[in-house]
Amino acid sequence: MSQNHKSMESVVKEIVQKHFDLEERLEKVLWFKSEATPKIRLLEINSETPATGMVQSFFFRPSDEVPYPLIIAEVTPEEWQKILRREINLPEGWSLENHKAFAREMVMA
Amino acid sequence: MIDRRDWQLAFLNQARTDWEAYKKAEELMWPVCHRLHFLQMATEKLGKALLVAAESNLGEITHSHSALVKFMRVVSNNLDLHLQLGLTKSQLKAQFKGLLPIAHEIEILAPALAQDGPNPEYPRLDKSGCLCAPFDYSFPLIRLLESHQGIRLLKYIEYFPAEFEKLFLD
Repeated sequence: MSQNHKSMESVVKEIVQKHFDLEERLEKVLWFKSEATPKIRLLEINSETPATGMVQSFFFRPSDEVPYPLIIAEVTPEEWQKILRREINLPEGWSLENHKAFAREMVMA
Repeated sequence: MIDRRDWQLAFLNQARTDWEAYKKAEELMWPVCHRLHFLQMATEKLGKALLVAAESNLGEITHSHSALVKFMRVVSNNLDLHLQLGLTKSQLKAQFKGLLPIAHEIEILAPALAQDGPNPEYPRLDKSGCLCAPFDYSFPLIRLLESHQGIRLLKYIEYFPAEFEKLFLD
């Protein structure tokens, strides 16, 4: 099992930076914080992902690179607008009131 | 009389429960071999749920482990899917083409297809002559599934059983 030597925030920033590097169409990454769980929960807004009309999240176990359990979901920009209008639900426990957004300009500056 | 549609629904239901097992194994952080075993089984049955309707030889498809890649090639021509996802046929084909290498890696996890390569079920002798149990093997495929292409393939694998009736049976 990996040890959590790095803070969650620094790991999130590394993941976000890497994903913006890799994905040209990635517009924004939202980090859903929670004091109740030591998991990193990210919602990525990317026009390349299939628009399935739901938020599908996938769990990845800690690794040397990401020493926290990681949950990632991808939605299109149109689906993100529907989430904001509460027409598509976020996974249970994810709240729009408690997230931090990373835009490409912020990260790549 | 059991017809092809009955076979379709039987494979579909098994694909759904295998997928649930995969998701549960992920959340509980079970060893990689078990998670990939469930993923291989879910995708094989998902593929068969569609292919069994068209294949002329029923026995050939029910006994084969090659189903996911063929399934993806077939569904990329599905008009309802284009409409549902708001993509053109060429966009969908291009997207699926990018996912096929990972789908192939999942498909050949089946021991019958893996030959001397890694499989998530049985110990094997690797190329250097070492005896390797799946439990001790790290499976590079798991890193591919964490990539954006991997996540998109997982999205489809979850989406198709959920929408199967609407897309393929109505």
